[in-house]
Amino acid sequence: MQTDRRDFLKLSVVGAAALSTMSAGAALSGCTSSAPAAGMKYLRAEDVELLRAMTPAVLKGKIAFGDSAAIDRNVQSFDTLLGDLSDVVIGAVHQAFDVLSFAPTRGLLTGQWSSWTNASLEDAERALGRLRDSSIGLLNAIYAAVIRLTASAWYLVPENASTTGYPGPPKKVRTAAVVAPVEEATP
Amino acid sequence: MTDLSGITFNTSTDPYNKAAERGWDITDASTITAPLDLEADIVIVGTGAGGGTAAETLSNAGLSVILLEAGPLKTSSQFDMQERAAYRDLYQEGTGRGTKDGGITILQGRSVGGSTTVNWTTSFRTPPQTLDFWAKEMGVTGCSVEEMAPYYEHMESRLNIQKWSQPPNNNNTMLQRASEKLGYSWATIHRNVRGCLNLGYCGLGCPVDAKQSMLVTTIPAALDNKAKLIHRARVVRILRDGDVVKGVEAEALTPDTRGTTGQKITVRATRTILAGGAINTPAILLRSGVPDPHQRIGKRTFLHPTTLSMAIYDELIDPYYGAPQSIYSDHFQWQNVDTGPVCFKLEVPPLQPAFAGGFYSAAGVELTQSMDKLPNTQCMIALMRDGFHEDSPGGEVELNDKGEPLLEYKLNDFLLEGVRRAWNVMVEMQFATGAKSARPAHKQAKHYGSWNEAKAAIAELPVLPFKATVGSAHVMGGCPMGDDPKRSVTDSDGKFHHLDNLYVMDGSLFPTSIGANPQLSIYGLVYKHSSRLAAQLKA
Repeated sequence: MQTDRRDFLKLSVVGAAALSTMSAGAALSGCTSSAPAAGMKYLRAEDVELLRAMTPAVLKGKIAFGDSAAIDRNVQSFDTLLGDLSDVVIGAVHQAFDVLSFAPTRGLLTGQWSSWTNASLEDAERALGRLRDSSIGLLNAIYAAVIRLTASAWYLVPENASTTGYPGPPKKVRTAAVVAPVEEATP
Repeated sequence: MTDLSGITFNTSTDPYNKAAERGWDITDASTITAPLDLEADIVIVGTGAGGGTAAETLSNAGLSVILLEAGPLKTSSQFDMQERAAYRDLYQEGTGRGTKDGGITILQGRSVGGSTTVNWTTSFRTPPQTLDFWAKEMGVTGCSVEEMAPYYEHMESRLNIQKWSQPPNNNNTMLQRASEKLGYSWATIHRNVRGCLNLGYCGLGCPVDAKQSMLVTTIPAALDNKAKLIHRARVVRILRDGDVVKGVEAEALTPDTRGTTGQKITVRATRTILAGGAINTPAILLRSGVPDPHQRIGKRTFLHPTTLSMAIYDELIDPYYGAPQSIYSDHFQWQNVDTGPVCFKLEVPPLQPAFAGGFYSAAGVELTQSMDKLPNTQCMIALMRDGFHEDSPGGEVELNDKGEPLLEYKLNDFLLEGVRRAWNVMVEMQFATGAKSARPAHKQAKHYGSWNEAKAAIAELPVLPFKATVGSAHVMGGCPMGDDPKRSVTDSDGKFHHLDNLYVMDGSLFPTSIGANPQLSIYGLVYKHSSRLAAQLKA
């Protein structure tokens, strides 16, 4: 899924310069590939590692750290969601995740110096907090993408949505009696 | 509201179930195996508020019409009120569309019916202040309040636009109650519905065809008039011979509309109408390399940048049920027209769970514990009226290397000041109606327990792009109309200034934002422009 890097995150001069340095670093190091991970359509192996660490932090209270079955279900839902978006969005997400996966930028920007597979819940929360509170717009943008997509991936699943107390939509059937429509007012 | 999940209803309303009987000519471009070469009097690109209205008007006049739509044909038989399928099938980029730097999320429809298939049915005539501003400052003629009135009347009658007569849901009631308490003006919203069941799922496709969207009104009428509809067909460029436009060239999309099949569709027509919305219409012009001597195409794109505040109450709100928008307040909308700080309209959105979770702008227990109170959650939105003040020049549509549109739009200090002010207004309103806590859509915010606590916190929050959550469901401008070619793309009748036989008939025409939900502004303006074109062609 190759997308023009310039499509993404043209921010302040600082942000843009930082991005090009980071992306170049990530690309040159060969740390990221473009091939999807096993069982995924869009998420690469590094993205899956990253999201496995981030998911219990973003969805704390819903998914416990160490509940790998629940975590993997949400990562799968995230992958499905990406497929429902667009190539432009997928390219942007890949770039954002490159910044978080490339060892030097990962350490420098999130404080996570070892791989995401070693991250504790506290490590992930600290990393998210740094991205959120940073004064660099690029990092705030990456934070916004991670939390929005992770939260959406969770609440798009009807069983998860029902944990909010949402009773769900009415049932549509072809044979049931028709509910009387609301009468229109006369104009 | 009562729990609606136990309600069942029948769906025999889908007009497309009788497409064959009615002799409708509908082609799914993803299925064609050879190039299509077609001819018509009129080719219309896009089937939303603009394209649908133009198709009915022109086909009623006896002209042959071909409609091209990049999105799929999805109808009420398939609308199941589940968020995932609706966002995937009915929205541009599956709701993932955003401005170029990702700072503003853009919700725009993308299926037959365009945004009218998924909008929340809110219907306002173009405010008189806006029409006056266009006449005085933007060189628009023929669009005064008096001149526009008959066109709005026609479309209001056509789409059964009436003041909502049922009690507002609790989400809207809070906006009314807060306005009364704080002395703000408010009013009831007009909606384009017929036989509405008051379910609340307008944004996911009306399951009973009560919403009088283009999908179930003007497009069926045009099909009855022998118009041809081709969906999953994305227009690449307009065809021209010198200064005369001859039609368009489109590519067939795959069933998921994510790729192309390699098949081409060429439509030759005596008149070409672009109605792809305010991002795709300028993009087609840019891709086509049409003359643009004053560099106006794609400039002055407006969004009604919108931010929100969530609040939790003791009482049940059920914000996912009931007519999504029935009350609004313009108390802060016309404090000035173009001379002061940005003004905003206050409304509420429906809160289905994934929509709420995605826009909460929170993570961890701040997100999940807040979401656990969804049935008790009220949400207020402020839509900022951009494009009037000189510090609000709007955004710009440009193309990437693949010819896909990108919208550059800067959230500058003028707009960000409005975001902070709007949070103050909305949060105060929520506490005034008994909210136990409220949270503006800032990534570093939390639920505050009192108005005083919230006010102090909002004053300290760094209101910056990405930290502040800003979205848009109203993309407008980019091909502004007006009599002066130096400042506009089309004349005041929607005819492209620099080529013959080419028209724009959608929200791209607006020289500023509207200052209200734009669907009726598009219907009225396009009904006027397309009626004039029909009269010219029949003369």
